[in-house]
Amino acid sequence: MNYTKEIQDIAAKLFAEGKIDVFVGYRVNGFDDNQVPVLITDPQDVSKLVFTDKSVFNLVNYLKNDHTRRKRVGLVVKGCDSRSLNLMLTESQVKRENLYVVGICCEGVVDEAGQKMQNCTDCMVPDAVVSDELLGTPSGSDTLSGSYKMNADIAMLAEKPLTERAAYFEEVFENCIRCNACRHSCPLCYCAKCCIDQETATLYNGANTTSGAFHALMTWSLHLAGRCVDCRNCEKACPSHLPLHLLHKQNESVIYENFQEHLAGVVTGDRGAFYKYSLKDPDDFIM
Amino acid sequence: MARVGVFVCFCGANIADYVDVPQVVEEVKRIKEVKFATEYKYMCSDPGQGMIRDAIIQYKLTSIVVAACSPRMHEKTFRKALSDAGMNPYLLEVANIREHSSWVHQKDKKAATNKAMDLCRMAVAKSIANEQLHEISVPVTKRALVIGGGIAGIQAALDIADARIPVVLVERSPSIGGKMAQLDETFPTLDCAQCILTPKMVDVASHPYIELIPYSEVIELQGFVGNYKVKIKKKASYVNFKTCTGCGACWQKCPVKVANEYNMGIDKRKAIYTPFPQAVPNKPVIDAEHCTMLLKGKCGICAKVCDKGSIDYTMQDEIIEREIGAVVVATGYDMWDPTPYEEYGVGRFKDIITSLEFERMVSANGPTNGVPVRPSDGKVPKNVVFIKCVGSRDEAKGIEYCSKICCMYTTKHTILLHHKVHDSHAYVFYMDIRAAGKGYEEFVKKAQVDTGTTYLRGRVSKIYKKGDKLMVRGEDAQIGQVVEVEADLVVLATAVSAPKDNPNLARLLGISYDKYGYLSEAHPKLRPVETAKAGIFLAGCTQAPKDIPETVSQASACAAKVCGLFAGDTMKKDPMVSSINNEYCSGCQNCLNACPYGAIVTEDVAIGHGSKDLRTVAKINEGVCQGCGSCVAICRSTAITLAGFTDSQIINEIVSI
Repeated sequence: MNYTKEIQDIAAKLFAEGKIDVFVGYRVNGFDDNQVPVLITDPQDVSKLVFTDKSVFNLVNYLKNDHTRRKRVGLVVKGCDSRSLNLMLTESQVKRENLYVVGICCEGVVDEAGQKMQNCTDCMVPDAVVSDELLGTPSGSDTLSGSYKMNADIAMLAEKPLTERAAYFEEVFENCIRCNACRHSCPLCYCAKCCIDQETATLYNGANTTSGAFHALMTWSLHLAGRCVDCRNCEKACPSHLPLHLLHKQNESVIYENFQEHLAGVVTGDRGAFYKYSLKDPDDFIM
Repeated sequence: MARVGVFVCFCGANIADYVDVPQVVEEVKRIKEVKFATEYKYMCSDPGQGMIRDAIIQYKLTSIVVAACSPRMHEKTFRKALSDAGMNPYLLEVANIREHSSWVHQKDKKAATNKAMDLCRMAVAKSIANEQLHEISVPVTKRALVIGGGIAGIQAALDIADARIPVVLVERSPSIGGKMAQLDETFPTLDCAQCILTPKMVDVASHPYIELIPYSEVIELQGFVGNYKVKIKKKASYVNFKTCTGCGACWQKCPVKVANEYNMGIDKRKAIYTPFPQAVPNKPVIDAEHCTMLLKGKCGICAKVCDKGSIDYTMQDEIIEREIGAVVVATGYDMWDPTPYEEYGVGRFKDIITSLEFERMVSANGPTNGVPVRPSDGKVPKNVVFIKCVGSRDEAKGIEYCSKICCMYTTKHTILLHHKVHDSHAYVFYMDIRAAGKGYEEFVKKAQVDTGTTYLRGRVSKIYKKGDKLMVRGEDAQIGQVVEVEADLVVLATAVSAPKDNPNLARLLGISYDKYGYLSEAHPKLRPVETAKAGIFLAGCTQAPKDIPETVSQASACAAKVCGLFAGDTMKKDPMVSSINNEYCSGCQNCLNACPYGAIVTEDVAIGHGSKDLRTVAKINEGVCQGCGSCVAICRSTAITLAGFTDSQIINEIVSI
């Protein structure tokens, strides 16, 4: 998977036609062959752009940045990224007319060790669902490809009794340093002020302790339930290497099972299972 | 420092029998903010309220907790007591130690007392964070919507309109009149139904304050009491009512024959039809499901014979919007389908009919010109068996409740049969004869003597065919023997059931319904006309089975409620409404979707002082907001606060126990 040339051409053309103010893409980081996001504002820098299977980050996150807000933006999205973009559009955070979206029919990206990422092996939506221009060969199916795969580690966790599960997460959250990189790296954490940080917040424990981390991360995972697209930006950003996807994937699998095979961000205008009411919703928990 | 007064009520014995009230008082006195606590037998009475008023002044209290019954019952009463003592009424908290404690824990006084103490502690903790709130005034749209044009809807519409309040009357079928228009004579006085109903139907059509919208359905209701917006789907009639004179040339020439619903399918009507000759409005509509012109594009006879050119095959459904302030729901009832009674041979034997089919046959404007006949061979029956409680009071096959009207209409049917076929004999299988009503028992007694009807107390177990007769086998419990009656015709007094669409309508209107599908009243005894949603009222069988006098009474009661609601130009509204913190709002608009009342819109606000750059945030319409709190729960950035239920109040409650 290498669309470096195509993307450079598209960006150059968009700048030449005056259609965009900034292009969000990837460049090689300069130390090794891993890549970092780059915001191009000068057409001469277009040659810095690359796109290979090392283009791991979700660039939609940069749409909540002041450098892109209220500007015309060109941007590259893979399947998972495009779903988060879909949610940003649905939740009125960006205007579609301000965007030029280069969609990728993604074949999966690799981690720093060159291994295909786990979310890519389980991916059901490899093609970008929002795009002005699609690169690569679509996977063929109009809707979802393949059946829902339950991660092995989620299945393992689900089997554990509640107390053991709590103990497991307590151990995980002990390493959290409350730097909030997960929150900043998540495209869907765009709130003007996070509920955890509010001065008047009486509901939330903001302490830099295990229980504070537990509180914050659990709240975070619930606020992303039915919205998380499993792009794993948060895991890539976490300096403590916490397995944050476990929180989200657990929610995702429960929601997929109970809410008519709902997957976040596949349909524009779909706010997610927790934000709409349907007569088909399960109600067996009501006495 | 907050100074809280706590007033614990015995509610006679309702609370005191199961909750140790003095112990609750002692317990709350230990809370340091509680400066005064006491108990009384009836806190809602004048001396009880007097204690509250006096204590507020004497102890300089800053908030009040009343531990008594549900706030639905007496919150307003106690708020008024606070007002009378010069205190803001919203500084009151009610701890519901009756419904939530004494009534539900009658077997364990200790646990009930402990729970009552917890509820009081929570209320005290919440009241400490209570703030002064002020009532909101909202304007009222003085126009009522009546759904359903049967006798209930007609009566409600006429009574409201007579008070010079405009009414929109929506009827699903092409004519108003409902089930009553299908009846022949009515018990217990045997007035002709048509004679007492049709003048009212004409009054509806000609009343200057009534807008009649027939052949239509309500599809959406938004807003709140005094300020609803309703969307009505007017089905395409394919006939221009403005030019149509109702001459009848079209339906005489129409070649398509369809089972006639008005006559219970006993005869046929045409694809273009008026339901019955006395219909209001007396204009035909085209039944799009059967018209060959609309289905296949061939025919067009009605358009050819119409002098006025009133037929328009291109007509489309139309959506009408109206602003209204109150709704009267009068959707009536359905006849219960007796198919589950397989042992009676329902569906197999043609000569088993339902009571409404019998009613149509004996009716002067019916398909057989008022003479009952056997559907199988058209002969006039001599021996007729009436079976009561078909579906009613039958947990196994039908419904548990008594349909209330069957005893009386079956009695009426025996009389009508006797009038029309002098040498006939009627047999009635019954469980009980329920004739509670003015003149009802006398009516039944007189009918039994005059008609010589044989009453057999017992259930019918089987009906089978013998020659061209039906053999009805049942038990006569009074002699303890199985009896068999040879019948020419069997009439089933089928149960009254709730309209099938009631659950959908209830969801659309935002009101509740019971397990049978009847719409629920707010209180079975003291608020039988209101629903739990303010401004929506119930009339007639849509709430429960009723006879005509009761239906008319309830319809008039609805009218009185509507007139009372519209008495002033504005309505006062509780100030428990949401508000948005613009700084924290991220503009995701999830609250817009969560709000069931459509109370939230968006607005563009400047980002900072003097900034021309705008940001979209949510905005609450206080008049529409009902304080349900859905938006508060769904807001991720906690930008929404509900007055009277702030985060700090709720947290106070939680940490107090």
